[in-house]
Amino acid sequence: MEILQLFNAGWSFEPWALVFASVLVGAYLLGVGTRLNRHSVLYMSGVLVMLFALVSPLDYLGRHYLFSAHMIQHILLLLIVPLLLLFGIPKSTAEKLLKIEPIGKMMRVLSYPPVAWFLGVGAMWVWHMPSIHDMALNNNSLYITQLVSFVLIGMIFWWPVFTPIENRRLNPLTGTLYLASACLGCTILGMLITFAGAGLYTAYINPVDSAGLLALIRNDLCITPGVDQQIGGLTMWVPGCLIYLSASMITLAQWYGAPDEGVSAARQEAA
Amino acid sequence: MSRRLPLVPENTEPLPSLKENQGMLAWVSSVDHKQIGLMYLMVTMVFFVVGGLEALLMRIQLSQPEFNFISPEVYNQLFTMHGTTMIFFVVMPFLIGVGVYLVPLMIGARDMAFPRLNALSFWLVVFGGILIYYSFLTQSGAPDMGWFAYSPLSEKPFSLNKGPTYWALGLLATGISSVASGLNNIVTILTMRTPGMTMRRIPLFVWMILVTSFLLIFVIPIIASAFAMMLLDRLLEATFFTPAHGGSAILWQHFFWGFGHPEVYILILPAFGIISEVIPVFSRKPIFGYEFVAGSTVAIGLLSLGVWAHHMFAVGLGDVTNLYFSLASMLIAIPTGVKVLNWVATMWGGKIIFATPMLFATAFIIEFVMGGITGVAIASVPIDWVVTDSYFIVAHFHYVLYGGSMFAIFAGVYYWFPKFTGRMMSETLGKWHFWLTIIGFNMTFFVQHFLGVMGMPRRIYTYQDFPYWGSMNLISTIGAVVLALSVLVFMWNVHVSRKRGKKAGNNPWDAWTLEWAAASPPAVHNFDLVPPVRGRRPLWDLAHPEQPDEPNAKVVD
Repeated sequence: MEILQLFNAGWSFEPWALVFASVLVGAYLLGVGTRLNRHSVLYMSGVLVMLFALVSPLDYLGRHYLFSAHMIQHILLLLIVPLLLLFGIPKSTAEKLLKIEPIGKMMRVLSYPPVAWFLGVGAMWVWHMPSIHDMALNNNSLYITQLVSFVLIGMIFWWPVFTPIENRRLNPLTGTLYLASACLGCTILGMLITFAGAGLYTAYINPVDSAGLLALIRNDLCITPGVDQQIGGLTMWVPGCLIYLSASMITLAQWYGAPDEGVSAARQEAA
Repeated sequence: MSRRLPLVPENTEPLPSLKENQGMLAWVSSVDHKQIGLMYLMVTMVFFVVGGLEALLMRIQLSQPEFNFISPEVYNQLFTMHGTTMIFFVVMPFLIGVGVYLVPLMIGARDMAFPRLNALSFWLVVFGGILIYYSFLTQSGAPDMGWFAYSPLSEKPFSLNKGPTYWALGLLATGISSVASGLNNIVTILTMRTPGMTMRRIPLFVWMILVTSFLLIFVIPIIASAFAMMLLDRLLEATFFTPAHGGSAILWQHFFWGFGHPEVYILILPAFGIISEVIPVFSRKPIFGYEFVAGSTVAIGLLSLGVWAHHMFAVGLGDVTNLYFSLASMLIAIPTGVKVLNWVATMWGGKIIFATPMLFATAFIIEFVMGGITGVAIASVPIDWVVTDSYFIVAHFHYVLYGGSMFAIFAGVYYWFPKFTGRMMSETLGKWHFWLTIIGFNMTFFVQHFLGVMGMPRRIYTYQDFPYWGSMNLISTIGAVVLALSVLVFMWNVHVSRKRGKKAGNNPWDAWTLEWAAASPPAVHNFDLVPPVRGRRPLWDLAHPEQPDEPNAKVVD
């Protein structure tokens, strides 16, 4: 009953979110086509997860009441959505896209692994500096920039490991190191937030109770600002890290699944 | 079974003997990975005996209620030194030492990438150990604050003696040594493999050493800086860990366990590697699911970095924190379980030969799974709150560290002793050693589960005469004596076999990895000619050219 109350509150179909989603869908329909296959299903589910993160109460709660809700939204937008979108782009489309001069040039710089790594981990660190986070909560355009940048930077971060053009992917062992070190980066931040003590993000200490949910959150669910911040920090730390970990398991599995360099060379010689 | 490979000639340059002119110098000044590896093993053996004697003294003191065998002060020093010795000067250097000996041989290299750094790592461990043990000779005695050195207990007002200072300095030295050997291993494995030995074909032992080495260079710096901070607190009046002056005592626990939990995997992953080499050879089958054993190791390594707070459930970090760490800790059971399944599946349907290495490897699986199951139990917060700091925990980690790491170490010694010395260890004495170990080990530690649940706390020098406590502790002490006896048998076996053991030949177990293609003991330059590597079992491919593991593999010259 109480939980349902949270779900009923604050569906916010903000125009910018709908526009962003339809741009993504439109670009796909134009660039790839309308066929229903594995790629398009993955891509569209990415867009759906993104819409969920942007218009559901998750967004409303994260913006007005709970740091932990913001963190779940953040994990979805930075780690899950970009991955689904990336898996949804077929190889041929990606190749065509990179042939367009400015995009190809830009991606060559951005997808250089150290750059992509610093963007991905940096996005996490910069947007969670308390002053910047509070600023974003009070400034609508900065807030929108934050959420959109999560998705775009997320795609750049995952690009070196899971680019649709398979032969350009990082060597799996390097890829594992890339992901493991990123995991370490987000672990340290999660740790800082978890153990920093309540009140790191001032906006969540005494939120303006615009939807009348504060009594429910504080008294019935017993989420004090301190607990809220801990849940947020730990969400970034443990589930966040698990995503990186699962991704490195996927790269390793692909590595072992692919034919050995030596074997393929021998087959070519035989043929 | 001893079938010599035609590629490798008999070793004409045996290891230098101490009796020769400059024999001692030939060892002390050596940068050869095999000599350094052997010195690691000999030094850890000495520390193993010392740490074992400390445990034995503690067990005698606990053998009956209100016994007055040793004083409380000495008891505190004993359990501190026992833990420190066994972790930092026995299991860790042994596994690193075996790695130093075997990794270059297994990948077909001439030596480690940085031979001098290798020697430095070894001597730092030796001198670190001497430094810590020297504290027994000081007026105030050895460190007495537990191997975890919780502050403020380890801080000046509570430990006025010099022990903790020696402790932190000595461990700082071994920490530097560990990071150096981690780097050395990584560079060696990544750059010095013989042609054909791709990263997908390296023996699982080498793979485990690689993952362990990454853990070493990630986590040892955490504890090394904590040791430095502790030294600053103790010597220069800094207050990093004293709450009264604005420091934080909990911070030490975070540093210590942030290192301490991955350390557990540093102690067990190479042991997994040993088991993954022994079980296939004595089951006469290739390892089942090589990829899964390798991949799950990476998963364990990554997971281990983020679960340390399960050592701190009783600290009061908050329910949410405890919940997350509890869940994350339980997740580690999955990749570990994957490994156990792989080993069992390797044995399944194989022609199992129960020579001593295989006996220890089989027992390893059973004892380690027991330790693992109690581990999953105490990862649950309410259970941990009941049994934390009790003998249940002591039983749990001895099942993992003795039943796990030490059993694997014994399996490894029996397996590779012919390679180290050119002679087989006695099977009769080996079986005596094995069965005495099984009886002694389980007798010592199994009852401690019950003692723990009945409420007996750890780190107490004596206890009152509660029902059953006396008899259970006596059982445990008798078990410890049997365990000590088994170690004596083992040492006697090593001593006798080194001189009079049966000649081994190059490949007494008919094994498949490259180290068995070298002479026993290997020549200084390891191989005259490294056999071609066309799969994961190069010596199998060599002996069975009609039935290679990877029929389509390209020939690399």
